Amino acid sequence: MINLITIDKKGQMKIQQMAFMLMAVTLFFLLVGMFVLVWSFSGLKESATALEEKNTMLLVTKLANSPEFSCGNAFGTGKINCIDADKTMALKDMSDEYSGFWGKDISNIEIRKIYPIDEEEIVCSVGNYPDCNVIKMYDKEIAGNYIWNFVSLCRKADYGEERGIDDKCEIAKVLVGYTQTE
Amino acid sequence: MSFPWIFALIVGAFILFLAIYGVSKLIGTQETLQSAKTSKEIGILLNPLETGFEEAKSSTLFFPVETRVYTDCNLGGDFGRQLIRISQKSFNKWVDTDLNVGFSNKYIFSKNPSEGEEFFIFVKPFDFPFKVSDLTYITSSRDVYCFVNAPDDIEEEIGNLQQENLLIENCSELKSNDVRNVTKVCFGQARESGCAVQVDYGNKMVETRDGKVHFETDALLYGAIFAEKNIYECQVRRLMQRVESLARLYSQKINMVGCGTNMQTDLIMLINSAKVVSDSSDLTLVNFVAEDIDSKNKAAGLCKLW
Repeated sequence: MINLITIDKKGQMKIQQMAFMLMAVTLFFLLVGMFVLVWSFSGLKESATALEEKNTMLLVTKLANSPEFSCGNAFGTGKINCIDADKTMALKDMSDEYSGFWGKDISNIEIRKIYPIDEEEIVCSVGNYPDCNVIKMYDKEIAGNYIWNFVSLCRKADYGEERGIDDKCEIAKVLVGYTQTE
Repeated sequence: MSFPWIFALIVGAFILFLAIYGVSKLIGTQETLQSAKTSKEIGILLNPLETGFEEAKSSTLFFPVETRVYTDCNLGGDFGRQLIRISQKSFNKWVDTDLNVGFSNKYIFSKNPSEGEEFFIFVKPFDFPFKVSDLTYITSSRDVYCFVNAPDDIEEEIGNLQQENLLIENCSELKSNDVRNVTKVCFGQARESGCAVQVDYGNKMVETRDGKVHFETDALLYGAIFAEKNIYECQVRRLMQRVESLARLYSQKINMVGCGTNMQTDLIMLINSAKVVSDSSDLTLVNFVAEDIDSKNKAAGLCKLW
């Protein structure tokens, strides 16, 4: 009787040891798995941001040639890397429709006149156009990451009764902002 | 066998099964992610191909492994979406994913799927009457298109592109042992034998085994040749959505500048006609309005809108 109890207790002890061991092995695998998952998904965020940066960089070089911004032949002969300021102001009114059109992570598009130099920064609106120097496609600031490129900024200017309407081109920078993947 | 052994074997097998299952799931996820990343990269790499004043541009895209490029189109939202999906060969097996990457500002015409390691990308602007967008035609180097009796300007354009898989002049360059898929594109009103694609250039019709489609401008002609009918028709509708938005933009520009007011009514007509396009056969009416505005714009002098 005494012997049987001793064997039973030994068996129970072995099962308990085995169970603890197996739990430890399972936990080990789970921890390793979680570590691999976290590591691979942290790389994913980086590659998503890198792709967005690449998209913005390639977009900014060609944005001025896209039909919504380009001068086309509206200012005499055809021009490349030229933004039609009048068209861009009209586009500003349609910004809701064009939200996410050039990429869902593009946060804003700004065109800043840089020459001739103006003393103060005046953001363009329907009320003050063309006496302004910054056109913001969306009503928010470019924060964080942005990439820019030089462009010509042309518009139809009214020179009064003698000269009438004529083309006016200035130098500007186009800035494209993008959001980083969180 | 004692109970501890049986217990250890059962639980050990369960742990091993879980580990193998987890690893295989992780590999699958990584392959899906890689496909999504490649699809996004293709779309991004199309940005520098946008044309300025060029009539057409061609470029080559290489993949390190055998790849299938699936393209699709949907009409949701203001401009619809161009969908791209990639499937790549891994351990001699195609890894299929259902992850589509979408772009609102791209219009791709290609065989579905297009398969190979080397792909040619040909870009041409679509003007209707103003520049609407660049159209992208993706073809695999394994698919050869042979243009028979094409009009001079088409022959000249294809010749200038120097794209290896676009041939002219009776396809004499093709050798009898060529293993590539040859698609014969014949120009002329009467249907010729052996032609997979028949183009009636005068009546602006393209007939493929999917059926007949209508085109306006050479940019859409290439689209009708390289894409399947349903994708072509969807892209035509997306392009008309863009025509509508651009026409509204030019109409607002007139208000902004106060010049070119004689085109306002025509622009409204263009908006209305583009809005009702349900398939390519409706393009004739829109083209009629577009040609009229174009002649007015050309005569506008300093008040040119585009």
